[in-house]
Amino acid sequence: MQFGVFTVGDVTPDPTTGRAPTEAERIQAMVAIALKAEEVGLDVFATGEHHNPPFVPSSPTTMLGFIAAKTDRIILSTATTLITTNDPVKIAEDYAMLQHLAGGRVDLMMGRGNTGPVYPWFGQDIRNGIPLAIENYALLHRLWREDVVDWQGQFRTPLTGFTSTPRPLDGVPPFVWHGSIRSPEIAEQAAYYGDGFFQNNIFWPMSHVRRIVELYRRRFEHYGHGRADQAIVGLGGQVFMRPNSQDAIREFRPYFDHAPVYGGGPSLEDYMAQTPLTVGSPQQVIERTLEFREGVGDYQRQLFLMDHAGLPLDTVLEQLEILGSEVIPVLRREFERLRPAHVPHAPTHASLLAARQAADAPRPQLAVAGVGE
Amino acid sequence: MDSRERSLVVVSAGLQQPSSTRLLADRLAAATGAALADAGVPLRVETIELRDHAQDLVNHLLTGFPSPKLEAALRSVVDADGLIAVTPIFSASYSGLFKLFFDVLERDRLDGMPVLIGATGGTPRHSLALEHAVRPLLAYLNAAVVPTAVYAASEDWGQSERPADDSLGDRIERAAGELVRAMAVRERVATVDGFAEPVPFDQLLRSGSGD
Repeated sequence: MQFGVFTVGDVTPDPTTGRAPTEAERIQAMVAIALKAEEVGLDVFATGEHHNPPFVPSSPTTMLGFIAAKTDRIILSTATTLITTNDPVKIAEDYAMLQHLAGGRVDLMMGRGNTGPVYPWFGQDIRNGIPLAIENYALLHRLWREDVVDWQGQFRTPLTGFTSTPRPLDGVPPFVWHGSIRSPEIAEQAAYYGDGFFQNNIFWPMSHVRRIVELYRRRFEHYGHGRADQAIVGLGGQVFMRPNSQDAIREFRPYFDHAPVYGGGPSLEDYMAQTPLTVGSPQQVIERTLEFREGVGDYQRQLFLMDHAGLPLDTVLEQLEILGSEVIPVLRREFERLRPAHVPHAPTHASLLAARQAADAPRPQLAVAGVGE
Repeated sequence: MDSRERSLVVVSAGLQQPSSTRLLADRLAAATGAALADAGVPLRVETIELRDHAQDLVNHLLTGFPSPKLEAALRSVVDADGLIAVTPIFSASYSGLFKLFFDVLERDRLDGMPVLIGATGGTPRHSLALEHAVRPLLAYLNAAVVPTAVYAASEDWGQSERPADDSLGDRIERAAGELVRAMAVRERVATVDGFAEPVPFDQLLRSGSGD
C-alpha cells in the first residue's frame, strides 16, 4: 500500500488572517510539502495541473524535476495530468525525461479537467472531453511502447515516422492511473489497458465511489489483466488532525466554512458524514481510512489532500508530521495484515522492470522425458 | 391500457403551510388517480415537497452531489411513470426553488416523461407564465408535457361554476385525462446504466477517431 499527498496548488487567503501567499510563496510551499512528505515516510507526492488563477502549478514536470533532485525515495506523480488539452506527444516526452532524471520514481494520473475555458484556450472543445481522453491516451500509450509511430486521429496533426525521445527509462513506460469521479468511460479505459484507476472520493459519497470502482474491477478482469480484486485502485482522502477531536474541528472549521469548494454549503458535520473528509484525532483518521477498504476492497494507493483552503504552511507541515508518525505506520500495518497474498501492490518502476525481465528471460528447457518430439 | 400499477410523483414547490400550490397539486393527483381507477389501473402517488429539500438542493448545487434524502427524491422522479409539477409564480416565472430541483436532476433523465404542469398565483394575470416559462423548461428536459396546463389564481378557489367558463375543476379533469392517456401509451425505455453496462472500449476508441 502506498500513502501520499496530492496538492491542488491553490492560492487561497487564510480566512483567519485574510492573508494570501504570493505565487512565489505557494510554489515554495508545495516543494516544502513534497520534501516533508518524503521526510515523514510517505511514498507519493502528486501535484495538480491548472492553467488559471488562483492555481500555480501549470508546469508539473518542472516542479517535479526540481523535487526529484532534492529527494531520494518518494514517487513523483500528478493529480491530474490533463490528457484532454495537453499534446500527448509532449506528455510522452516530458514525463519520459522526468522519469530518467528521477531514476524511475515517476508515475502519472490522467484526468480530463473540468474548467470550461481551459479547453478553448488550448484549442479544444469541452464537449469532446471523453473522446479527447480516449484518443490522446491511445497515442501516448503507443509513443512509450513503439520506437517509431505512424498515427492519424481526429484531434491532432498526424505523425509519420515519429520517435518520442527520450525513450522510457529501461524501456519501461511510467505507470499510469486514470482519475475520474463519475465517468464510466474512464473506468472502462483504465480497465482496458490494465492501468490504475484513481477515484478522488473527497467530494463524493462512498456509495458512488463503490459503484465506479466495482465497474473498473469487473472490466479489468474482463480484459484479462487478472482477477477483479487484483485491479489497481487509488483513493483520495482529506484529513485534519489534533490529539483532541474537538480541537481539530474548532481549528479547521473556519477553513472549511470559507473554502472555495465548500463555503456556503453543508455544515462541516454534514460534509464529514457524507464524504471521506475526516477532521478529528489521528485514531479517527485511521478508522475512517480503513473503512475505505470496506467500501472498495483492498486497494493500492491512498493520497491525502492536506494543503488547501488557505491553511498556513507551518500547519500543513505539522499535519504531515502527525500523518507520518501516528497514522501511516498503523495503516501500513493494518492494510498489509488484511491484504490477501494474491492482491498486488501498486506497480513501481522496479516492479515493472522486474516483471518485464522475467517475461523476457529465456525459458529454462523443460527436461521432460517421453514426450513425443 | 394494461392494468399494472402506475407510479405518479407530485413535485410541489409551495412554501406556505397550508399552501395553495400543494392544494392544486393534490387535486391534480386525485383527478389522475380517479381517471386511472376508471380504467382499472391502480396508482401509487408520492408527493415531494421541495421545501423539505431546500437546504439539500443548495448544498447539491455547491458540492456536486445530493444528500441521501434528496437522492431518494430525485430517484423517485426519474423512476416514475408520470410527473405532476406545480410551482407558485414568482416574478413572472417559476420559483427559484422549483428551478433548483430541475437544475440538479441528471441530464436526459426526464426523456419522454409524461408531465402535467400547474402553477398558482395571486391573480389570473400570471397564468401564461406556465406557457412561457414552465413549459419550455420541461420541454428542454425532453419531457412530454400534456397540452393542458392548470393555473389556479386565488379567485379560482372560490369561483362558482359558470357554463360559459372553464372552471378550475374542469381544467383539472381535462389535464388529468391527458396525463393518464400519455402515461398509458408511454413505452418504458429501460434507462441505460453506464455503470452496469459500460460502452466497450473498442467502441469508445472508434467513436473517438471519428470512424
